[in-house]
Amino acid sequence: MLSVTGLRATVGDKEILKGLDLKVGPGEIHAIMGPNGSGKSTLSHVLSGRDGYTVTAGSVLFEGQDLLTLEPEVRAQLGLFLAFQYPVELPGVNNTYFLKAALNSLRKARGEPELDAVSFLRLIKEKLKILHLDDSLLKRAVNAGFSGGEKKRNEIFQMALLEPKLAILDETDSGLDIDALRVVAEGVNALRSPERSMIVVTHYQRLLDYIQPDYVHVLARGRIIRSGGKELALELEEKGYGWIDAELAA
Amino acid sequence: MNAPLHSGLEHWLSAPDDTPAPDWLLEQRRAARVRVSAQPLPHSKEEAWRYTSLKGLLEQDFSAIDEPLDALQAEDLDAVLIAGLDAHRVVLVNGRFAPELSTLDALPAGVRIGGLRDWLDRDPESLRGQLDTARGESGAFFALLNTAGLDDGLVLWLERGTLLERPVELIHLSVELDEPRVAHPRHLVYLEAGAQATLIERYVSLGASLYCTNAVVEVLLGRDAVLKHERLQMESRNAFHLTSLYLVQDANSRYVGVNIGLGARWARTDLNTRFRGEQAECLLHGLYLAGDGQLLDYHLDVEHAVPNCRSEEQFKGLLTGAGRAVFDGRVLVAKHAQKSDAAMSNRNLMLSEQAEIDTKPQLEIYADDVKCSHGTTVGQIEPEMLFYLRSRGIDAARAQRMLCLGFAAEILDQLGAEAVREQVAEAVAQRLG
Repeated sequence: MLSVTGLRATVGDKEILKGLDLKVGPGEIHAIMGPNGSGKSTLSHVLSGRDGYTVTAGSVLFEGQDLLTLEPEVRAQLGLFLAFQYPVELPGVNNTYFLKAALNSLRKARGEPELDAVSFLRLIKEKLKILHLDDSLLKRAVNAGFSGGEKKRNEIFQMALLEPKLAILDETDSGLDIDALRVVAEGVNALRSPERSMIVVTHYQRLLDYIQPDYVHVLARGRIIRSGGKELALELEEKGYGWIDAELAA
Repeated sequence: MNAPLHSGLEHWLSAPDDTPAPDWLLEQRRAARVRVSAQPLPHSKEEAWRYTSLKGLLEQDFSAIDEPLDALQAEDLDAVLIAGLDAHRVVLVNGRFAPELSTLDALPAGVRIGGLRDWLDRDPESLRGQLDTARGESGAFFALLNTAGLDDGLVLWLERGTLLERPVELIHLSVELDEPRVAHPRHLVYLEAGAQATLIERYVSLGASLYCTNAVVEVLLGRDAVLKHERLQMESRNAFHLTSLYLVQDANSRYVGVNIGLGARWARTDLNTRFRGEQAECLLHGLYLAGDGQLLDYHLDVEHAVPNCRSEEQFKGLLTGAGRAVFDGRVLVAKHAQKSDAAMSNRNLMLSEQAEIDTKPQLEIYADDVKCSHGTTVGQIEPEMLFYLRSRGIDAARAQRMLCLGFAAEILDQLGAEAVREQVAEAVAQRLG
């Protein structure tokens, strides 16, 4: 599904990713953990095509296609989805209108007919239930005036609607209290399928109590320095990130 | 003898005696003509004309329309109608009332709507003391020219306490004639005490016509009266457009104006409002979109002449290509106008490097117990917003359009009828490409 090889990326003069390797197979959930400044968000952004990053080496193949040459909307149309760490407020842009534009853009790219208003509303109400969201959300502007929890739930709601092949959850747990975290995690779990892969980027282990990963990777100083099963997350929780410096120094 | 007009404006007025008009009005027209002839042309050293040159306008050598255009069929109107808008409709063609295209049946009691020329023919005395009073002593050049050339337009008159539920739609339709023509429509809206109405004033054209509209709108709101006034300037992209609005509000009246500016090559809008009674409220909203080859120039003059009134001026601009716009807003609070509340804002979204905005909100406050604010912003589309939409599969051009419409939504939402809102939003989206 996704194959990242020797990825190096800079922001301005500063190299953030320093030869990162990652392989994600269909239906797998990979957790990427690491301390602040390790390059977690940069990885999410480079994969989804955000401006401001320069890839200096390496490759990213998504179902055999070179992702790095594609515009962000084309990546989304191929089935990539980024759940933002800080979902952007879009004042004046109606949520329903936005969701419909997004879904129909994807459908159009896949050669499917656009959904009419009735089928769209039916679909959307079904997806709202997964995230325990009220349909008053549909009448509001995208993320505008949403609480932190609502914003994150709205991200997963969009994921439910757009049904990506690969979802990247960028610190989806940040800023959530335990109840909100549980709702978001339930939503994510409801979307698990043998065809859908996920990369869960997080600083803390607690999200992984709710979303059980198949693999855990430790990202530090722009590279994955250790990979393992979900027990690695528990080990990190116990030891913190302090040992990394010692290990890298060694 | 007529006083000679300025070079470039020689043919702006037809012979003054060919309109049926009572003596008092002929005298007003004559006086305006004398005054405008004696006045220098507006020029860039005047603050009000600093950013706006008359050069292009004067080069056209516009001439006044002498004959009404009666060749227009009802089908011709179809092209400019808003589907789904249910309204009492008044149509002016090239500034002249066209009764055969208007639908003014089923008017409730207390509502009088008609063409100004007809009205002057039938009942001139009723307009004495109303027509051309809101303008006051203003020496604004083009409003004077309009007065000198005044011959037709809309009269909307609601008697005391009349509530008119259906909106009144004024369609000012321009059609290119044999040579470039100028029309001087004059509209008078008079709501007596407690009356309420909605007026949708639209400036449209057939095709890419070249012409000039020099309109004056007078609005008199009696005590407790409420007017919702939507003004859609969607002239041909070859046209020149001037409007001067003069609004006078009595106590406890409420005016909500929405000014949409999308059309014309060169457009100048002057909104002059004055409170005459306390506890009145005036909201002026505006949205303009200027693209290549366009100049849209707005001047607001809001006068808090009495205490305890509230005004809000909120204008938003979208600028694309080499489009230019001017926002010059002034709120004046007189010395004794205590407890005045005024908030003015002008926000602009620049969509290209070549676009230009000159924005200048000003407060002139002589009272000491007031709540007044002003603010202006000039910015670009936030890259994070654009990326967010694109990350959901929406292409860059569409994402930009969505964000622009989102920016405009605050103003568009003020348009009362969904059919109007959608038509304007569609027109904005189309202009954004």
